[in-house]
Amino acid sequence: MTANGAVIVRIRRVNKSFGPTQVLNGVDLDVRRGEVVSVIGPSGSGKTTLLRCVNALEHYDGGSIRLDGVEVGFDETGGRHRRRKERELSAIRAETGMVFQMFFLFPHLTAAENVMLGLRKVRGKSKAEARAIAERWLTRVGLADKFDSYPSQLSGGQQQRVGIARAVAMEPKVLLLDEITSALDPELVGEVLAVVRQLADDGMTMIVVTHEMAFAREVSDLVVFMDGGRIIVEGRPAEVLENPRHERLKSFLSRLDSNRRREGGG
Amino acid sequence: MELALYSLPFLWQGVLISLAVSVLVTVLSLAAGVALGTAATFVPGPVRWIIRIYCDIIRGIPVLVLIFTVYYGLSLLVGVNFNNFMAASIALTVFAAAKVTETARGALQSIHFGQTEAGKAIGLGFWMRMIHIIFPLALRRFLPPWINIVTDIVKGSALVSLVGIVELMMSMKQVIGRTYEPMPIYIVGAMIYFAINYSLSGLSRRLEARYAYIRE
Repeated sequence: MTANGAVIVRIRRVNKSFGPTQVLNGVDLDVRRGEVVSVIGPSGSGKTTLLRCVNALEHYDGGSIRLDGVEVGFDETGGRHRRRKERELSAIRAETGMVFQMFFLFPHLTAAENVMLGLRKVRGKSKAEARAIAERWLTRVGLADKFDSYPSQLSGGQQQRVGIARAVAMEPKVLLLDEITSALDPELVGEVLAVVRQLADDGMTMIVVTHEMAFAREVSDLVVFMDGGRIIVEGRPAEVLENPRHERLKSFLSRLDSNRRREGGG
Repeated sequence: MELALYSLPFLWQGVLISLAVSVLVTVLSLAAGVALGTAATFVPGPVRWIIRIYCDIIRGIPVLVLIFTVYYGLSLLVGVNFNNFMAASIALTVFAAAKVTETARGALQSIHFGQTEAGKAIGLGFWMRMIHIIFPLALRRFLPPWINIVTDIVKGSALVSLVGIVELMMSMKQVIGRTYEPMPIYIVGAMIYFAINYSLSGLSRRLEARYAYIRE
């Protein structure tokens, strides 16, 4: 969790509109190697879109996102400025890992095959090598007995851990987590967060979009609060979450708090 | 019934021709339909509209009209003389390919976009995603309706008798023409068609059971 490495993700003045709606409105953010950055904010604040821009699942209209020095959305060689082609985007995406809220495991492949697919077809590893890596990661996320299970045979928490293994097995430069516990039953959240905590301890660089404030507070080096497509507050978790000064952040946190109380302390 | 048994070797020749037409049309329409269905799903713009128009037009025309159009009309139009086997096969293929296109498009579109995104996220390019994720998932949605189309092709192959091909239907007529005993012959013929199509539906059920472990 030391955050004094080089900047891996450098986001500058990023803009993005869906039709007439401006979802990102000049976002700046630096993520350093080994750092865990949590992005919080109300729904519609642009946090998921920002995350999806980092691995080019969404195209941003203006500004710059650099992944380890490489501009993600645009080709800028030779003074040009054009949107990257699908083939170039694939190469960039291979350097990032993404875990989805709804898991999106490949349902026709076993847990091990889910992890192996990218290793084989993108990294060009042999079947045996890919299998060994998949088994190692699945073991690390606590699924040593589920290598050959299909997603339909796994619980939500187990599926999401396969999703994490699938992403980290590619050795991404940054791991993007998009509300990865939001679709889980409450009793399954802990097992998934434990895996993420372990990855953080091992120095994985992560951008985490989350509604789990306690978790954000515990694992993050930096918490950013987004509202209306901008980063409004940015700082250490303790300052941002415990002594919120900004009005909108205060009301966001108290809303979350009262929701939690209404749901029975969960 | 004795008569029907005696005519079996002769009908068998017809069965072989029916099967030849059916297999040829099935293979060609599968290739064309999957290609067009994939294009209709993933290629934006005019390509999509042209394919849609093709499917709509073919859907509105009886197969028999298609067969006559190709047999009598196309040779005049392009100056190539098709023999009746070729003409009938082309017409049936054009008909079946439209159905396969729609089926393939539906199967591909039914795959959740999250599967595409998950594939993109690990760095798979378009064709890798197609081959390893989208096609395998779509296959299971595609197979049952496709086997329906194949049974339509087998049944539709009876129509090619009308341009003078001696397949099963025509063989039956020829036997009846000599014996004046329509009922036993038609019953045997119906049983043969039924046997072919029933084994196809059995195959369909087996395949569905085989893919039951896949749940999205």
